[in-house]
Amino acid sequence: MGLRYAPAILIGRCVRVLARLRKPGGGSAVPGLVVNKIAPGFLTETLNSFPEGLVIVTGSSGKSTTTKMLVAALRGHGKKVFTNPSTANISQGLTSALLEEASLTGRIAGDIAVLEMDEGHGALIADALKPKVVLLTNVMVDQIDRFHDSEMVAGMLEKIALRATQAVVVNADDAFLEQIVTRLRGTVDTPRFGVSVDVLDANPRGLGLAAMTPRRMPSEAGVLVRSVSGRSTEVTIDGGAVTTVRLPARGTHYAVDAAAALATARAVLGNRFDPAIAVSTIGSIPPVFGRGETLQVRGTTVEFVLVQNPASFQLNIDHLDPDTEQILFAVGSDVRDPSYFWPVDTSGLGHVDIVSGSKADELALQLSYDNVQIGRIERDLGKAVDEFLAMPEPSRGVKTVIFSADSMRRTRAHLGLSAVEAPE
Amino acid sequence: MSDELTIVTLFPSLLNSNGDAENARVLARRAEWAGASARVVAVEDASELPAHVDAVVIGSGSDNELEAARDKLRTLLEELRRWGTEGVPILAVGTGWELLSHGIELAGSNGGPVRAIEGIGILPGRAVPRESRVTDDLVVKSKFGRLVGFENHARDYNHAEASPLGRVLSGSGNGRGSGQEGVVMGDVFGTHLHGPVLAKNPGLADELLARMFRRAGLDYQRGERAASVDEIARAARNQIAVRLGLESE
Repeated sequence: MGLRYAPAILIGRCVRVLARLRKPGGGSAVPGLVVNKIAPGFLTETLNSFPEGLVIVTGSSGKSTTTKMLVAALRGHGKKVFTNPSTANISQGLTSALLEEASLTGRIAGDIAVLEMDEGHGALIADALKPKVVLLTNVMVDQIDRFHDSEMVAGMLEKIALRATQAVVVNADDAFLEQIVTRLRGTVDTPRFGVSVDVLDANPRGLGLAAMTPRRMPSEAGVLVRSVSGRSTEVTIDGGAVTTVRLPARGTHYAVDAAAALATARAVLGNRFDPAIAVSTIGSIPPVFGRGETLQVRGTTVEFVLVQNPASFQLNIDHLDPDTEQILFAVGSDVRDPSYFWPVDTSGLGHVDIVSGSKADELALQLSYDNVQIGRIERDLGKAVDEFLAMPEPSRGVKTVIFSADSMRRTRAHLGLSAVEAPE
Repeated sequence: MSDELTIVTLFPSLLNSNGDAENARVLARRAEWAGASARVVAVEDASELPAHVDAVVIGSGSDNELEAARDKLRTLLEELRRWGTEGVPILAVGTGWELLSHGIELAGSNGGPVRAIEGIGILPGRAVPRESRVTDDLVVKSKFGRLVGFENHARDYNHAEASPLGRVLSGSGNGRGSGQEGVVMGDVFGTHLHGPVLAKNPGLADELLARMFRRAGLDYQRGERAASVDEIARAARNQIAVRLGLESE
């Protein structure tokens, strides 16, 4: 693309320097905002310029974990991969991230780009993108106040899927995604991943999908999750040998993410795909912050659990150790209206020591109607975290912090955990 | 009467997109806190309807499933008519309310013609398209106290003027310049206040509970636990009201 974007790239870099002088460590979206204004084609042209193409990962949930797994698998195969760092899944953030690495000709060193894309923002720029492969993770009841209903989410995913030039990888258990496949009319490959009847039976509340397909995927039709046990899962590829994959946290949704990453890596690499490399690299990704891993904080062991939508809320509560003695639960301003959380059955928690976050009262109300005992409500999250960590060591289980994405960011900042891998 | 109060939620697999069906749980819990025994029955098909019903909750669903939900509601038309006039409170939220009206007009997509869906006609009025969807806080002055919640709807509600639930203090409500929100007829309550409206507004919950207890020959007194939970609800309502520039109460 020549030096057409050189002035915009230089200006963007100047803005970045200025933004950082003004607010050290911050201002990451501002350079993108400026460049998108003065050179609106920069973002999409740069994304379309990778020699082995662009891969988009989108859907209601599981995007960030799946993206990390897919990137690990492709790098394991010797590919140089550009990917968007945490929280940069909106246009400005993405442009800012590209500015960091672009040469003055707008090119980025790398064979292939793998981008996690928010379904709403992705649909907005979809018309200008030419992804080689699109992975659709699922359609869940998520962020009702933004997207109104599942049909709308499915419509946005379809818009992105229609841009794929080679393959659209889909979750075979998701009825909305299977409808999208029908409308692609065989123009691209549509490899599948899914869970077995046994895995579904082990999740009596279902997988959190807005609509499920009536039958499970036959093993020969794609990457099948045969079983899940703690932090490992057994999968088969096209009905072949059973392989064990290590997961970054316990839970069926991580096994599905791993299956999605395997199916997508294969779609991208074609006959260069080596299942052994893919399985070992996917199994080596570090635990994702806030996804049920434990950390040492202020001399005590703490488990962090992120709830992002009703499905992950329910699954994470169901997966908590029933003996957990000390719980802090915080919901923040990212949840505009918490109504859509109410179908989640929170009674399994039994008790919560401190309810916090800017939506503490709303959360406490839901817990109360599930007869969950509440120690106290402390809207100031920093204070709540300090007091929770200062409580005497629990006699059973570890201190457990459950939070929404906004409360997670605030907790990380408060505890100085910014170096830890973030899920978004 | 039977010893146990039965609260049914109608067709929640079609009508629960904002957690509105969970208001049945709120009624059951408050009945228990008042010393009664209560259960929630989710009815997905008319054949599952319990012999005795003390209260009914109908939640909100997606536009694609309006006709499917309407056809299901029609199978209970006689029961809904009877309940609504004999002291069985019915709470209908969002599209669940619209389906009880005379009809719903859907804006044609991409400039196409307006399409109308017949309602089951147990409430006056009909739902008509708005210029754009409203997704915001809604505060209503009513005789059951100041109601605070969230609205998310693409249609206004016409001809509820005779008996609204209350007057809009902030938000859109029924729209079309009416300044009103919701409809109340006999024991049927329709509202745009979605999600756990009864948990956040116990004044309205207790009105429904008083009606249900009265019909069962019982006296409703708010339980002790409810009183402390209602303080949490008050804090949640005040947080929203203050943000909207309204007074704390």
